[in-house]
Amino acid sequence: MDSNKLLLGVYDNPDTVLEATENLIKGGYDIKDVYTPFAVHGLDRVMGVKRTRLSTAAFVFAMLGIASALSLMIYTSVFDWQMNIGGKPSFHIPTYIPITFELGILFTAFGMVSCFFIVNKMFWGRNTDVIDIRVTDDMFVIAVNIHGQTDVKALENSLISNGAIEVKERIYEI
Amino acid sequence: MYESPIRETLILGGKTYHDISTDICRPLENKASKGWWIGFTISALVLAMWIYATTYTMLVGIGAWGLNKTVGWAFDITNFVFWVGIGHAGTLISAVLLLFRQKWRMSINRSAEAMTIFAVICAASFIVSHMGRPWVAYWPIPLPNAFGSLWVNFNSPLVWDVFAISTYFSVSLVFWYVGLIPDIATIRDRATTKMRRFMYNYFSMGWNGSTRSWHRYEMISLILAGISTPLVLSVHSIVSMDFATSLVPGWHTTIFPPYFVAGAIFSGFGMVLTLLVVGRVVLKQEEYITMEHLDAMARIVMLTGTLVGLAYITEFFVAAYSGVEYEQYAFINRATGPYWWAYWIMMSCNLIAPQVFWIKWARSTPWFLFFMSIIVNIGMWFERFVIIVTSLHRDFLPSSWTMYMPTIVEVAILVGSFGLFFTFYFLFVRYLPTINMTELKSILVMKDSKHSDHGNSEKGEANHG
Repeated sequence: MDSNKLLLGVYDNPDTVLEATENLIKGGYDIKDVYTPFAVHGLDRVMGVKRTRLSTAAFVFAMLGIASALSLMIYTSVFDWQMNIGGKPSFHIPTYIPITFELGILFTAFGMVSCFFIVNKMFWGRNTDVIDIRVTDDMFVIAVNIHGQTDVKALENSLISNGAIEVKERIYEI
Repeated sequence: MYESPIRETLILGGKTYHDISTDICRPLENKASKGWWIGFTISALVLAMWIYATTYTMLVGIGAWGLNKTVGWAFDITNFVFWVGIGHAGTLISAVLLLFRQKWRMSINRSAEAMTIFAVICAASFIVSHMGRPWVAYWPIPLPNAFGSLWVNFNSPLVWDVFAISTYFSVSLVFWYVGLIPDIATIRDRATTKMRRFMYNYFSMGWNGSTRSWHRYEMISLILAGISTPLVLSVHSIVSMDFATSLVPGWHTTIFPPYFVAGAIFSGFGMVLTLLVVGRVVLKQEEYITMEHLDAMARIVMLTGTLVGLAYITEFFVAAYSGVEYEQYAFINRATGPYWWAYWIMMSCNLIAPQVFWIKWARSTPWFLFFMSIIVNIGMWFERFVIIVTSLHRDFLPSSWTMYMPTIVEVAILVGSFGLFFTFYFLFVRYLPTINMTELKSILVMKDSKHSDHGNSEKGEANHG
């Protein structure tokens, strides 16, 4: 459970932040999240972030796109109104391939990216409470939840001993 | 990774993460320079000419063009294919080079993707205007309609093209925007004025840089790259099928899809070079877009130029070998008929000229690269002109043989489309970061760090141990 009170350790190097996160988790602290200016590889694994299911979503949307394209073309040109153009068949799967492919891609892209925005709770105009304004520039921040029983002094020490250049407390609005 | 002695580092000048943010944001945080105003004004004036010429065409109809009963497609479709081709480098750079783990793409992918989007807008404008009655431009879309239950013909490549181009445009736009979000958040957090803070905050969608977001972000980037790669290849293949599925000698060839795709990459990289050779100097980004980057692009130009050259020669061989005299005549007529000059401009610009890139000097001299990029653009425009006009102007009936010459209105629309393109591009340079800061930070090797290889993460290389 996320609490409102956080202790932030600010780091300036992706390697230190990775090691620090690993050590803090070993030390039994409840890490809310680690904020970085770019994707630091291995951090998600160290933090135990579960593999996202967005790839499954992408697959589902791809199938949906393919099904929509095929049913549109088959319905319109076989069932609703057959056209005789140069005596060519109306129901002709090979000529359906390009549009089926394109709509598959279109649905995948839009469906998956929409899901991404939904799970990240992102939308146009959202005002986010940035944990530290420097995380989009050059700093890496480990945010640790402070519960009633957390020994703040010890946590502070272990943040610093793991290379933090700055430690501060912060209230975070969820 | 890039400390290996055989490769130059991708970012020069001993930059820090903060330097990257400062350098890349400088053009959009400072007042616009005089050069920007001059460039923007010229582009806007040329755009005005485009608006005038296009409006004129729409008012009087395509009788304003030099088309005739034999040559029904000429400048309009030439320009359309030309712009769509240019629109292929962006997604190729971001998607295909991502899958091939080419890290040098990171300095150039943002501007190349922007170029893609603007080029596809230009291309779409030609499709709409060549219809003659643009107010019924929605007819190729399968809609229930008032003319009986008449649907579009799904056997027609022109309908495929509508789906391909619109999918390509919208997916490229999504890919570009997703890549921009973390960078927009950077600008938001650096913003000093209220207006800038509001706008970039709005479009950053509340990006917070948390590891959970990054984890998902990498996954969707990888999948977007994965689906964009076949998309890029499919779009120009379908464009080529507009020609290849017809029965016109010179068009009816199976080599068209790969040949068009190679040509598209060739012309796209030509345009990227045109923009970046100048842009890196004007925006003071020489440390990010290094000579190594220009060198790599020149190599691709040479490779794809040689590929299209091979396709030109293969077409000739196949025509000769097929024994079809119409086909043979179409090609003899291309090379030696009344449009011989267009054919030889195409050959010399696309096949012969890029061979200079075997020489190191040619790949490492910016002014020469710029000159060559213009040659490539001219050559690729003429390629489309040759394919379209020389195949049509002498059809099966010698009594309908004719010549095509563009009118002033058509030339104005072509030149004006560059105004459309560059107006967008100047606005992009002014309001968005032209280099992907986030990705660059991930490959930055800092001198003072103990082990500096951690950051060289790939966009999209999601890591799940």
